[in-house]
Amino acid sequence: MTTINTETATSDHRARLARRRQERFRRVEPRGRREYTARERAEMLVDAGSFVEMSPMRVDSDGKGAGVVIGWGRVDGRGVVIASHDAAVASGAIGAVFAETVQKAQRFAIDKGYPIVYINDSGGARIHDGIHALHGCGGIFALNVKAQRRVPQISLILGPCAGAAAYSPALTDWTIMVREQGQMFLTGPDIVKATTGEDATSEDIGGSQMHTEVSGVAHLEVTNESEAFHATRLLLSYLPSRADGPMPVVAPRRPSPVAAERLPYVVPDRASVVFDMREVIDGVLDAGPRLELMPAHAPSVLTLFGHLDGRPVGVLANQPASRGGVLDAKSSVKAARFIEFCGRFGLPVVTFVDVPGFLPGTVEESRGVITHGAKLLKAYVETTSPLLTVVVRKAYGGAYIAMGSRSLGADYSWAWSGAEIAVMGPGGAVALLHRRALRDADDPEALRDELAAEYRENVARPYVAAEAGVIDDVILPEETRDRLIDALATLGHEGGTDARR
Amino acid sequence: MHAARAEIVGNVWRLVAKEGDLVDTGDVVAVLETMKMEIPVHAGGPGTVRLRVREGEIVQEGDVIADIG
Repeated sequence: MTTINTETATSDHRARLARRRQERFRRVEPRGRREYTARERAEMLVDAGSFVEMSPMRVDSDGKGAGVVIGWGRVDGRGVVIASHDAAVASGAIGAVFAETVQKAQRFAIDKGYPIVYINDSGGARIHDGIHALHGCGGIFALNVKAQRRVPQISLILGPCAGAAAYSPALTDWTIMVREQGQMFLTGPDIVKATTGEDATSEDIGGSQMHTEVSGVAHLEVTNESEAFHATRLLLSYLPSRADGPMPVVAPRRPSPVAAERLPYVVPDRASVVFDMREVIDGVLDAGPRLELMPAHAPSVLTLFGHLDGRPVGVLANQPASRGGVLDAKSSVKAARFIEFCGRFGLPVVTFVDVPGFLPGTVEESRGVITHGAKLLKAYVETTSPLLTVVVRKAYGGAYIAMGSRSLGADYSWAWSGAEIAVMGPGGAVALLHRRALRDADDPEALRDELAAEYRENVARPYVAAEAGVIDDVILPEETRDRLIDALATLGHEGGTDARR
Repeated sequence: MHAARAEIVGNVWRLVAKEGDLVDTGDVVAVLETMKMEIPVHAGGPGTVRLRVREGEIVQEGDVIADIG
């Protein structure tokens, strides 16, 4: 008799759990442009079958779920924590239980040392939860900040994210938005209309194009949810799981033969002619995928991840093909943020320099180019990961200093043999140094050209900088890759007593 | 109607296209000089060039160099 009773009880338990699970995991058809449910999104992001939900039974006071799916899985075999907003529950609004659930995922990621991916799709704080919702949102922000020193944080924007739901991504490292589906704004169209009189759509106020081109709030724009998951996996492939974690090293791949052969001829002879710095990067780095962040925002500098002899590296480069490769307020902020990120996670930074200077004018000064430029200087000085700098053409004045110079802490700095490094370009220098001679000359133009050529040879050539010790060596373009790889190997040596590290 | 706009402040160093020229998307319409760099100005779309500036003129970021329609 006893045996039979146990069996009945067991089958009751099983049936009850099955029913609970069925209710809880019932698929609610996503609304609008959304393609997948919160749980499907989490499952798609990680390796097939690896997602395990934490606290799946957690409910809010209304009997519905917490409004967020948290859990962990693996990406390329490495652990990742996920918090995925469920827009099917109260439009993903952040209530007290929702916030407590997200914080549980955050604490787990911080304590165990796993990257955390936030899949955002939330209208903001849940009004019914009043001050408890605000308190919960603040708790998420505080853990976002705490996580910064510990683990990579990536935010995906897969729906309209308003108010509090827009702040959390801004406290994470990289934000990826789906075009015409994800938006981020502090206040939506109705309040904007009431306050400023603007007839603006949510796309105008916080669409992906605006945020990835103009504001710089988001760093990558993709066309659908699957692409967002792919981009996230690619981004994670360059990063250690935690700040002091081992680098994900891959099999080295030489640059494509075409790019390598082209390398010595990429930089035009005339210093005023623009070129595409990506060709230099292609000729030096490993072949294979790269991930460029903020490609459409402040494009006069490039920020991307790639590999050098199989090791992940961050690349910062001037891009002469866009705005001549100048530094200005926006490109300084973009560059500083990238270097600061690389520093926190131990990624070596390779800097390719061809910079005409900081952009002059009232517009830039009023944007605070001094303050923003200073952020770039600070980022290099504070970064303790290996810093390798290659001056491929021009490096003048303050911009020379700002682009990863030895004085800011570069471990190695090289200049290509055709490079020019000086306080200012030949034109400006000659006008200043020879003002009287030029004024009195019969043919000022001819004299200016002559003096500029002399200045270029005697003052600006990289040998002067090498003799002074401000760069380590003058090299040929085709020697760059081997120098960088060798430098990385020496800097990876564990025996040093470098106080910076 | 498309436009060719200055991507940066500078002076119009050289007009490459002439009034009434037919250009394609991406063609260089003019070259600006900024900080000793030659900055090309590209056509935003295909069409006939209507120049809006003269050589030697200073233009601001976003200014229309030519309308193309």
